Amino acid sequence: MSSFPPPPTNLIAAWERAAKHFPQRGILFCDRRGRLAPRVRYPELLEGIRRSAGRFLALETRPGDRVMICLPSGPEFIECWFGALFAGALPVALAPPQSLGSSRAVVDRLEGTYEKLGARWLLCRPSLKAVLESEGRRVDRVALSVDGWDAVEARRPDRWPPPDPEETAFLQMTSGSTGSERAVMIPHRAVVANTLGSGEAIGRPHGAPAWEWARSLVSWLPLHHDMGLVGGIIFSLVNGLDLLLASPRAFLTRPRVWLDLLSEAGPSISPAPNFGYQLCLERLTDADLEGVDLSSWRTALFGAEMVRPETVGDFSARFEHLGFDPLAARPCYGMAETTLAISFDCAGKGLRTLPAPAAAADAGFEDVPCNGVPIPGTRIRVAAPDGSELPEGRVGHVLVSGSSLFQGYFRDEEATRECLRNGWLWTGDLGFMSDGEIYLTGRTKDILIIRGQNVMPHDLEWIAEGVSGAGGSLRVGAFSVPHRSEGEQAVLVVEVHRDSGDALVSLDQEIRARIGRRMALVLADLVFVRRGRIPKTSSGKVRRRELRARYLDNKLGRVG
Amino acid sequence: MMKTAETALNVLAQVSGKTVPDILPEMHLARDLGIDSPKSLELLMELEDAFEIEIEDVDAASMETVGDVLAYVGQIG
Repeated sequence: MSSFPPPPTNLIAAWERAAKHFPQRGILFCDRRGRLAPRVRYPELLEGIRRSAGRFLALETRPGDRVMICLPSGPEFIECWFGALFAGALPVALAPPQSLGSSRAVVDRLEGTYEKLGARWLLCRPSLKAVLESEGRRVDRVALSVDGWDAVEARRPDRWPPPDPEETAFLQMTSGSTGSERAVMIPHRAVVANTLGSGEAIGRPHGAPAWEWARSLVSWLPLHHDMGLVGGIIFSLVNGLDLLLASPRAFLTRPRVWLDLLSEAGPSISPAPNFGYQLCLERLTDADLEGVDLSSWRTALFGAEMVRPETVGDFSARFEHLGFDPLAARPCYGMAETTLAISFDCAGKGLRTLPAPAAAADAGFEDVPCNGVPIPGTRIRVAAPDGSELPEGRVGHVLVSGSSLFQGYFRDEEATRECLRNGWLWTGDLGFMSDGEIYLTGRTKDILIIRGQNVMPHDLEWIAEGVSGAGGSLRVGAFSVPHRSEGEQAVLVVEVHRDSGDALVSLDQEIRARIGRRMALVLADLVFVRRGRIPKTSSGKVRRRELRARYLDNKLGRVG
Repeated sequence: MMKTAETALNVLAQVSGKTVPDILPEMHLARDLGIDSPKSLELLMELEDAFEIEIEDVDAASMETVGDVLAYVGQIG
């Protein structure tokens, strides 16, 4: 590339910039079996988006109207989501139905979001529209099937007025692993700052920003998730990369799809939560891996959930002979409230850990992974509960500030005030700084307080996973329940395979013994359940509150 | 039609670890056959491969019983 164009000031300008300066790049959509369709270039995509925007205008969509997009990963999603944005509306992406029997849950959730946002439209597949219609759902009044979308005559304005960089560009639903989900308001300025800042940060170990050496980004992450939407589509658009895009289902059913895409992506970046790497370890045999070449995978990002050192180690060991570079493994940290990224590991030394400082070590924490330095334009501070900054090495609340911050939660001032104070976001995470790098030790909201001691649920969960061999598709969840005389006590729920049978007795003893030894803690209860019984968010995080509620209602389906 | 149902039952048996005669139309996939969320993706993949089709997400999402699966493949078969 001769010269990298100046940053755009908003997302409409970002598309025009990509069409002009990166006209040969675009999105390669991958079908369920991993077959890649020819590249749809940015200029072509932009045309489709403008047509779609014209249809929203023809339907008298007004600036600031909320438009729900419930579509699978594909060209329709891109045209509708950005089309709504071009028309001045606020697009919000929602999880489309995926797993067996999930239809009712998806529809209930759509209805809830519709009420909460007072949405003007819902764009969905004809099959979902049919379900809404037959069930007489209220949200059906605003539902439009993408099948009829092309028939809507578009209104073409002479020009698309550039939005103010400080205007809200879109809404992002939080994944809701703690508390109920909320709609995060992201301004144009923040999304540009975040994706360009990430491009710079990702480039650091390579001596140049990502746009100078990377050709592609490979993603199978869902587009209703910030890591798929901002980290996949918008990151590629702003940094001028090709995006190789698979659906989550393509990866989850055939994990090899991900590795195949990486084999043909050229110098590439690809993000995934820890469980994605773990799934490859569990599901792929050496025979499955013929023809896989990971030598161009320059940056393997671990995000969205806590990175597990064992997974990084096992993945590196297993895939190194196929060209995977262990130094390419880099944890990153982020959340919807900061548009996406907060920090990346930029040392280029692979996963690094530090022994936990005293406060976290009390809770039994051993090695804490490094999540790196803040991206340009973002600051991190570790603070005491009163907001005063703590020295390096002390565990406290993680606060974030800078150009990527959200504007607040849509129509939820109370929740906004709670976490956004004097320009700093209280992330709800706990951690410490060392040499300017952030180390995360847990979350405030899920903390177990056992006899006055803070216990991180992760600690209990990891110990149990170490014993049971869970940690991939099998989950473990810890929480506390009130106890007569003791205050709170810890409960652990562990998923096991159906045929575990007699092994459960020894598993029970071993988990209790290790937790006693390592954390000086007695479990009030240890529950074994079948695989899939622990509720998770779409990104695979355990919903501890919901798990706790089910436990208290006796609805877990205990085995053994 | 018979052949279609037979193929689908074989796939269900393979994924659930049960035998074909044990699988009845009124059975619930998750509750009775233990086809949980990771297994359901395996089931979809096997059905897609056996029938050389692509099952739409929303169709998959509305399958709750063995009967739902048989009705679906009957339609496309």
